[in-house]
Amino acid sequence: MKKILLDYINIIGYAFTGLIFGLTFFLLFINFYHFEELKYETDMTSFNATTKADIESKLQTIKNNISVYDQSTYTGNNNIYGLNNVKIKLESCVEAIESEEMMNYFNDNEISILDTYNLLRTYNNKILNNCLVMQVKAMFNSAAVATLPNYNIIKPYVDLNADMLITSLSYVENNLENSDHFYYTTSNNKNNFFNIVDDSYYEIIGNYQDTLDLLVLISDWYRTVVTGG
Amino acid sequence: MKKIFNGLFYILKFILLIAAFGLTLFILIRMNTRLSKSMVSIIPELIPYVLLLIVFIINMLFKQEGVTKNLFYNLTCSLALFTIAFACYRAMFDSNLVLATKYGYNIDFNFFDNFIAYIKILIYGLIFVNILFMFKYKEKKQVTD
Repeated sequence: MKKILLDYINIIGYAFTGLIFGLTFFLLFINFYHFEELKYETDMTSFNATTKADIESKLQTIKNNISVYDQSTYTGNNNIYGLNNVKIKLESCVEAIESEEMMNYFNDNEISILDTYNLLRTYNNKILNNCLVMQVKAMFNSAAVATLPNYNIIKPYVDLNADMLITSLSYVENNLENSDHFYYTTSNNKNNFFNIVDDSYYEIIGNYQDTLDLLVLISDWYRTVVTGG
Repeated sequence: MKKIFNGLFYILKFILLIAAFGLTLFILIRMNTRLSKSMVSIIPELIPYVLLLIVFIINMLFKQEGVTKNLFYNLTCSLALFTIAFACYRAMFDSNLVLATKYGYNIDFNFFDNFIAYIKILIYGLIFVNILFMFKYKEKKQVTD
């Protein structure tokens, strides 16, 4: 009787060892798979070259637009405090966009998940926070700028777009941060639905281009105000 | 052959237990330092390691062959402890884990935190199985004239 009981205990022991063995293998394989998945890199050489050229061209437009105003030679009737304010704020934005830290991302050819995440963080800090919130939104809340022509037309448009741009990347950020957890993506999923590196990168650059378009629009308005068009 | 493998995994499980324990302790201390929490709170996470070490020592002292000569158990132990050590290694050194860099600690506490539950399941499981294998029927020696 004792022998049978001990045999049963032994069988249960082997059954549990098998379960632990299975779980261990599962965890080990998922860890290796996850490790390999995160090492994925994508070639962005041509996309980055096009993006860089695009950004430089938009920056040039903004620079040309804001250079039409010079306080010492300006003879128009508009509030010079408002004009100075807009010029300084737009120049700060141009400086942030042109910064080495931002531009260096477009020199990379191989983009990994960490590069995408770092780009997002730099973009959030430098462009969305320092430019859109601290400069552009603050600029449109200033009393001096409010006296400029067509302010009432452009302000709601800028506010709406800026708010949208500031919040629209939060899901990309969440997705990237969630990649630290084990997840079960497949090549099919990656090719057809959402590739966390490629698609997040395109989303961030898309948002970046939209921000630049908004700045170009503001600078166009500024040019019209200064030249009295 | 079986004897050689068994001997290998038997030694390996001790080495891996020390490695897994050391890595877990290091990460937990860093986690608590970061949050300025009392070190007492890490004790429950370390109890399974201590219990596993105690049962290993009991196996060794009482020469419990049901465990010490059980190749499957020793292999599972080595694999489980290797998996834990590998997860700890990744939390510390896998540079592609994005949250490792976010707060400037260079350890992905988020990733490790997910793994704590698995560590407990694996180690408590190994302790339970070890206790089951301790009981082995011993044939009585027949006295012949």
